[in-house]
Amino acid sequence: MAESVDAIEHRIDALRAEIRRAVATRDTSRTRALRAELRAAERDWEQAVADLADLADLSAPTGEAPVGAEPGPAGSLLPVREQVHHALTLLSVPAAPRLIAEVHAAFFGPSAPSLAANRLTHLRRDEKRSFETAPYARPYHLCAALTAAHLAPARGLIAVSTWPLERRIVGPLSPRVDFLTAAVRVARRAGTMPDGSAPVSKLLWRFATNIPGATGAPGTLDRHDTVDPQTVIRAAEAEQAVHAETDRAQRKAAADRARRQLDDVQQLFGSTLRTLQRKTA
Amino acid sequence: MTSISMGTGRSTADRLAAIRGGVQPKRHNARTIAALTRNPGCARRAVLDTAGVDKQRLAAYIDFPARFGQSGFAIARGNAFEAQVKASGAAELVRLLRERLGLPIPEVAYDDLETVTGREKESPEVRYARSRALLLRAAAGEEDAGTLFDHPLLALEVAGQRVYLEPDLIAFQHEGRFHVVEIKSFAVVDGQADPAKVSAAAIQAAVYVLAMRQMLAEAGHDPEIVAHDVILVCPRDFSNSPTAVLVDVRRQLAVLRRQLGRMTRVDTMLAALPPNLSFDLAPDADGVPTRAPEALVEALRTVEARYAPDCLSVCELAYFCRAEARGCTAALGTSAREELGGIERVETALGLAKGELSPAEEQEEAAALLRNAARLRAEVLGTAG
Repeated sequence: MAESVDAIEHRIDALRAEIRRAVATRDTSRTRALRAELRAAERDWEQAVADLADLADLSAPTGEAPVGAEPGPAGSLLPVREQVHHALTLLSVPAAPRLIAEVHAAFFGPSAPSLAANRLTHLRRDEKRSFETAPYARPYHLCAALTAAHLAPARGLIAVSTWPLERRIVGPLSPRVDFLTAAVRVARRAGTMPDGSAPVSKLLWRFATNIPGATGAPGTLDRHDTVDPQTVIRAAEAEQAVHAETDRAQRKAAADRARRQLDDVQQLFGSTLRTLQRKTA
Repeated sequence: MTSISMGTGRSTADRLAAIRGGVQPKRHNARTIAALTRNPGCARRAVLDTAGVDKQRLAAYIDFPARFGQSGFAIARGNAFEAQVKASGAAELVRLLRERLGLPIPEVAYDDLETVTGREKESPEVRYARSRALLLRAAAGEEDAGTLFDHPLLALEVAGQRVYLEPDLIAFQHEGRFHVVEIKSFAVVDGQADPAKVSAAAIQAAVYVLAMRQMLAEAGHDPEIVAHDVILVCPRDFSNSPTAVLVDVRRQLAVLRRQLGRMTRVDTMLAALPPNLSFDLAPDADGVPTRAPEALVEALRTVEARYAPDCLSVCELAYFCRAEARGCTAALGTSAREELGGIERVETALGLAKGELSPAEEQEEAAALLRNAARLRAEVLGTAG
């Protein structure tokens, strides 16, 4: 990279200060322009840091040779994409960035410092842009869950494009059903782990405390090393049975509607049609 | 959060827009309504708030910056706690409600009303229409009407203007009853919380209860199905695990209803003000205000304020009003003002106390009181010294 990391950091600081001033003086057009500039600078920074890492790998005496050293703009994104994909595949339901990061940290090691929530919103936007320019070019895209009511992107949920549409629809009961599904998946996975690691049992305990009968004996609520995966699975499935049928019907109806009304991009990333305004007009 | 929108009366709306100047109306929340009702006689505050003037900015520009407001840290902490409680379809909240209200297992439906059509910027009308439709469906007891409503938008008439309110919380229906849920990040330690914070939260929640009840009543439902017990969710002890307590807001509701009813309608207030009144800072292309601060101060003086020491903790302009009210007996607080009925200035009161002034007929009672107080003071100081 022509510009050093220090110089970019300097530029970012200056831009931030500038944005703060622009916001304080309510200059929205200038703020917008500056924000765009800041985003570009941040991308440059990612790139420069990735290059730096490659350089460090090369110069490290015992370091392995870098495989296909082509970081590119996608280079820094690719690992994050895959981390998210791993976590989502484990959960098998649309999830919020925070949960995705926690699941990844618990099962795949803490090597996910970049799985911060704000990075993930960028990611979804990037994925959409990529799909629009080259549809189905990637084996999967990280996309949105759709609300059953308006087929709009559900706030703060990430899904995988290869999932059936029904699974990506969020009806009123779906958050709970998905939560229980995720609990079962996490418990199953935790059950196969040889030795209950602290982050895994903590994650499982967090699920268990919010499912009736999942923590076993009452009074053990505050101890997260006592949660039994089998108990969690039984309790979650018992509650799931209560909601499952209604939820499935609602999701199916919405998914059918989405297939009829939406194009490919909208089916993955949601429609922002002004449904309500049209109705009242 | 709330925004004030100019729904009714075109001319009033135009007038308010002129007063505000060419900027977006300032967004408000239930706190400002709670504060509004604390000093209902203050025309200055009523006009500025209804017009959506950015009082913080105005106060800073005329050199009386407000010295309060939530810190960025507190806001971030509050948002994080709220997000945690509402994560995964409000999983933690569902557990608390099952414990606290005996919410049955099937009642878990969750509707996110913060965005409706997926657009980042939505008009409040769209969100209000959707919230209203869902909440009324629930009130009518329809099947699958929903249980948890995240960030619904409610509306309330304040001084003749419609104000949108966004409970930073979930209104929720269970066996035909709605409960307002307020999520706060101050800690409950050993079952005890800071009483001032609890009471502020209670007033805020009462504003939501009132708005909900009005909406139901307008639609022909029984308003009493909104419980007067609100659910306050706070972190327990020194952990991040939430706990829920029921807070009875009947008293706050009564106060709010009375104060809102007494508030002068804004049209009446506007009629009495100079027609060219404006608090427009007239920012130039770089957002730097171009109007002289003196002009704004002059504009402020045309709208009557009613300063009380209480204002310092709720109103952004309080420091300006306090400086303006220096020397007035009213600035000493409501109890002093009541005792000194008819005496406007502190100098007059001192003169009467020392017997240098002879009281007018209506001042005699207060004058006697003052002279008595002066005598007592002299005696006490005399024996002490």
